[in-house]
Amino acid sequence: MNNFFKLIYNESLKIYFRKSTWIMYILLGVIILGLAIMVNIYGEVNEGYEQNSWREALQEENAELTRESEQDPFFQDFNNSFIEINNYYLENDIQPAGYDAWQFVMENEMLLSIVSLLTIIVAAGIVANEFRWGTIKLLLIRPISRTKILASKYTAVLLFSLFTLFFVLLFSWLVGAVFFGIEGVNPYIVLEKHTGLEYVSIIGEIITGYGFQIVTLVMMATFAFMISTVFRNSALAIGTAIFLMMVGNQIVFFFMERSWAKYILFANTDLSQYTNGNTPWIEGMTLGFSITVLIVYYILFLLFSWLFFTKRDVAGH
Amino acid sequence: MSKELAMELINVRKKIGKKEIIKGLSFSIHKGEVFGLIGPNGAGKTTTIRMMVGLMQLTEGDVRILGKSIKSDYKAAVREVGAIVENPEMYPFMTGSQNLNQYARMIPGITNERLREVVQLVGLEKAMKEKVGRYSLGMRQRLGIAQALLHQPSVLILDEPTNGLDPAGIREIRMYIRRLAIEKNVAVIISSHLLSEIELMCDRIGVIKNGELVAIQQVNEKTEHNHLKQVQIEATPIEQAIQLLKTEHDIHAVQEKEQISFKSEKENIPALIQTLVGHNVSVFQVGIATSTLEDKFFDLIGENTIE
Ligand SMILES: Nc1ncnc2c1ncn2[C@@H]1O[C@H](COP(=O)(O)OP(=O)(O)O)[C@@H](O)[C@H]1O
Ligand SMILES: [Mg+2]
Repeated sequence: MNNFFKLIYNESLKIYFRKSTWIMYILLGVIILGLAIMVNIYGEVNEGYEQNSWREALQEENAELTRESEQDPFFQDFNNSFIEINNYYLENDIQPAGYDAWQFVMENEMLLSIVSLLTIIVAAGIVANEFRWGTIKLLLIRPISRTKILASKYTAVLLFSLFTLFFVLLFSWLVGAVFFGIEGVNPYIVLEKHTGLEYVSIIGEIITGYGFQIVTLVMMATFAFMISTVFRNSALAIGTAIFLMMVGNQIVFFFMERSWAKYILFANTDLSQYTNGNTPWIEGMTLGFSITVLIVYYILFLLFSWLFFTKRDVAGH
Repeated sequence: MSKELAMELINVRKKIGKKEIIKGLSFSIHKGEVFGLIGPNGAGKTTTIRMMVGLMQLTEGDVRILGKSIKSDYKAAVREVGAIVENPEMYPFMTGSQNLNQYARMIPGITNERLREVVQLVGLEKAMKEKVGRYSLGMRQRLGIAQALLHQPSVLILDEPTNGLDPAGIREIRMYIRRLAIEKNVAVIISSHLLSEIELMCDRIGVIKNGELVAIQQVNEKTEHNHLKQVQIEATPIEQAIQLLKTEHDIHAVQEKEQISFKSEKENIPALIQTLVGHNVSVFQVGIATSTLEDKFFDLIGENTIE
């Protein structure tokens, strides 16, 4: 087992010693900073309210919003939802928390697709690159089974993904804290959910928001890993995985009417379709069904990787 | 020979698709022996080596390393092998020592002491902190050898280690290969398509052609049999010299440009020269072409195959 940790360590070093990995992190950092600056300039960030005057402030805000809607009906829908949220605070006598680092992190949920992208790039390269560099020949002539080497590579990809996710969370939070401050350890806000307005914990929202996307992340990373091992070509693996990730939903819509549509991977990757108030994409689908389909795909991806990695010759080009 | 077997190939065959690339190779290498695998490009040297180290599966036959089968006892067999297959490729974005550490972590019991030892052996101490991407081919060959030696294998396999090296580099490799064989009793297998480059470091040479072993030759055999040598003499008058050799020594010499050429045993040469000088023939130059293995294999594999 000790041996296995050393293999994972080796693989992680191969990931982090490369300049391209550092460039990815720098890009991520720049994107997060850019978002914070944009929110700061263009977003109408509320700075928080005074303990004794927040009710008046909200009422004033509502009056302002109503006026704006009358002048330009274009804003009406948009403004009305703000007014409703403000009313929810007033009716329930909750002082609203100001915009802060937590909300910034919550709104950066889409950064997870960038984490997915980076994970796909790493997963696509981790086997194929060894073939491209020719180092596979030195890697596989050790007294270690190919299964173990493959497992260490896969684990290193997952660890990279986890680490990158933490990086995004932590860096977003830090940037958010610098730009917008921190309103508490676990602030609550009113959000519009499918069941109506709800007073929810931001951290809870962050966990579910990011959490549901992790399914897609892991599945696509595993898919890229499989293509990388089967075809020994990282460009192909990156290309197909990113393409599928982008058009996955369209594929499901396109085949929606077919009886087998619910077996398409992408019909099942978004598990939030089973949360309160949501309806599943295709009638008859259940959480258990989706989890089963996901597991079957997952096992198939890993099985193909394993078969091709352990059974095929490492021959010349 | 009562020496211990290090590696044994038993009727090794490899088919890729319908094409039979290796057609039943059988030979063995002893501990402390340096075995040269010679053959033209495409003869099947690399394929054979890939099978020896488990990178390719054998279609038929077996490879045994210290008696352990690469097929059924892979880990134990490959534990005894260190190798470079084709080019010495390393992670270009890592330094020399980071690369070596990768391999050191994969086999238990490799100490820092051992790392220093192999680095010193191949003379790369000064380049250890440099990125391998900036190494010359010669430096990468050395790092490749260091990597192969880390775990003190019983069998060292080097595929074309002299490729891209200058004569000094080849001499250096020859030096530590001989040292490994003699001091550490390591069995070394070296492949090359250039006989002249590895002839001097090998105890025995196997010639491979089209996936078949066409000859095995002990390298020191040539000095044991002191057969006829090709002799060239530059002398004037040339016709008189040819005549004298014929009448006095019964040697049939021919004229080649300004020289005469004939076959003779080495021991006879002083007597021949005495005869010529005794009859007032002026001798300017005497040359002996040592019949090398190259001549011998030239006949075996034909002209255009050994470069
Ligand atoms: N993956 C492969 N698929 C088909 N033929 C191959 C493959 N690898 C090598 N060969 C063929 O096998 C023969 C031996 O190649 P190789 O072992 O590389 O020769 P050498 O190392 O002696 O130059 C060549 O004819 C080559 O074309
Ligand atoms: Mg070759």
